[in-house]
Amino acid sequence: MNKTFDRYAGIVFLALGALCISESLKISKGAYGSGVGPNTLPMALGIVLILLSIRLIYETFRYAKSEKAPANLDYKRFAIIFAAALLYAFFIEDLGYVITTFLFLFVGFQTMERGRVWSSLIIAAVFSFGVYYLYVDVLEGTLPGFPSWLS
Amino acid sequence: MNTIDYLLHGFATAFEWHNLVFAFFGVLIGTAVGVLPGIGPMSGVALLMPITASLTGALSPEAAATSSIILLAGVYYGAMYGGSTTSILLNTPGESSSVVTTLDGYQMARQGRAGAALAISAIGSFTAGIVSLIGLIFLAKPLTDIAIHFGPAEYFSLMLLGLAAVSGLAGKSMTKALIMTVCGLMLATIGIDPLSGVSRFTYNLPVLYSGLEFLTVAVGLFAVGEVFKTILEREGNEGSIAKINRILPTKQDLKDSAAPILRGSVLGFFIGVLPGAGATLASFFSYIMEKKISKTPEEFGKGSIKGVAAPESANNAAAGGAMIPLLTLGIPGSGTTAILLSAFIMYNIQPGPLLFNQHPQVAWGVIASMFIGNLMLLILNMPLVKVFAKVIETPAKYLIPFIVAFSVFGVYAVQYSVFDLVLLMGCGVAGYFLSKNDFPLAPLVLGLVLGPMIENNLRRALTISNNSLSIFIEKPISLTFLIIGLLWLAIPLLLKIRGRKVLINEEA
Repeated sequence: MNKTFDRYAGIVFLALGALCISESLKISKGAYGSGVGPNTLPMALGIVLILLSIRLIYETFRYAKSEKAPANLDYKRFAIIFAAALLYAFFIEDLGYVITTFLFLFVGFQTMERGRVWSSLIIAAVFSFGVYYLYVDVLEGTLPGFPSWLS
Repeated sequence: MNTIDYLLHGFATAFEWHNLVFAFFGVLIGTAVGVLPGIGPMSGVALLMPITASLTGALSPEAAATSSIILLAGVYYGAMYGGSTTSILLNTPGESSSVVTTLDGYQMARQGRAGAALAISAIGSFTAGIVSLIGLIFLAKPLTDIAIHFGPAEYFSLMLLGLAAVSGLAGKSMTKALIMTVCGLMLATIGIDPLSGVSRFTYNLPVLYSGLEFLTVAVGLFAVGEVFKTILEREGNEGSIAKINRILPTKQDLKDSAAPILRGSVLGFFIGVLPGAGATLASFFSYIMEKKISKTPEEFGKGSIKGVAAPESANNAAAGGAMIPLLTLGIPGSGTTAILLSAFIMYNIQPGPLLFNQHPQVAWGVIASMFIGNLMLLILNMPLVKVFAKVIETPAKYLIPFIVAFSVFGVYAVQYSVFDLVLLMGCGVAGYFLSKNDFPLAPLVLGLVLGPMIENNLRRALTISNNSLSIFIEKPISLTFLIIGLLWLAIPLLLKIRGRKVLINEEA
């Protein structure tokens, strides 16, 4: 159990509950029924969440001291792949499915393990073209095609 | 028509050639999902939803729903078969319900009996699949007959019971599980309220009007979260894969494992029917039970075939049993069945008591296809187990980016929105940090699915009773559900206070 994380998480959930209550006060009551409007449930959930997060914060004070050494996490690799995935998401509509998928996969393969550039290139190309062809031409689904300045 | 007629009609549906193909690919992909570490039944089912949606685009909604559910359910129980493969050969469970199989399975592999262990787990899984289907057939009718009389108050209480059960059993801390449940319910309130038309928490953003898409959140939390975990923690398959020599078990093996298989199947089935207790708990319980009733308990953990047969049967039976509350009551008891429920809803078919009356071919078609699917799995897993063992060797280098690309494809193909892709990545990060710190994800997902249904039934019940909350206590069935739900939360707490160890369900 990670005391610091749980304590911060408790505070975040507490804030979330408070936000939920204050926002639910702004929701108009609506004409449906009389007592239970659209704001009833969010309000109730907010209250329950506040109570639970207070309980969680209280529990963190009773944790036994954790002597777990901090794990050696590979943040660099994660940062590269996460950034690549976000760029992939942002540009999928502008650059089209095939180009963005190809680039993402290539970056992903090389980040996971350097080397063997050619096999990475080929696998990325086969996957991106293959999925696009199968989904758009065979199954008649819709994916963003190539950008207009290319076709 | 009686049950047998319906079942025969179901077989007619399941034997249509495209449904056979769907069942085959479902179980094939399911086995692969079970074998691959880092991708469990839940993310497997979620990832395949968009693809089945487009594959079935040409069929009528009812036929499309049948075919999709056949495939998705195939992935679910197929993964139960596949999960044992890595447990036995590599000592690494492919998914959480095969954790106990490592105890004896890997020992058997080290003694050169890997083939026998794999074969017994396939045979056990098959028997369990059939047992649970027979149970499903016999329980479906009486349960729907009861459930058809349920009003909004009963449904509300039943769903609360479901949430309580999942929160009571999930994860190490019940506080955390309950927080996740409440968060799921809160996320479900985003969007336009269907009863009053008032928008909630949308902040004038058009993308939020229809609420957060369940598929996006589920794929993000489970598939992408798991991928991020692998990247950050440099997980890999270390250790060598045991060789498979002889696949067919000996007569002695069969004789030894017959009774554990049957006991595991029955126990697993009943545990599967309970909401919240899934395949993981079933496999644990059956292992413990076998060890208790065995005349030679010291053999367990040293390569006893009974220690493989019982849990592997139980987890498969539980997967079948979990279909019962989903199909007859319309209430998912676990994360994976929650995704199956959302697949039903995507086709505008509401599972529950009316399913068997209004869409009998969907319900019975799926049930019948599970017979066929289990048979296919037996055939796939006995001679082809060596091929699947090769799947384990898929290098993480390629697997990880592929899962991300596949998640993006799956979400974009259904939602066509960049917002959902960003939400997907956000959920992935949240999923990693939450599950790393023992915040269970299944209650959140269940809350997200059940949220709108709970709210709807709550408000309808209160309208009937003129806003008096006593309606939930005055109706006997509703009261019973509420009491059981309360006990479900209270008993583990009491046990914990008294210093007993409580078995928890870590299944996603």
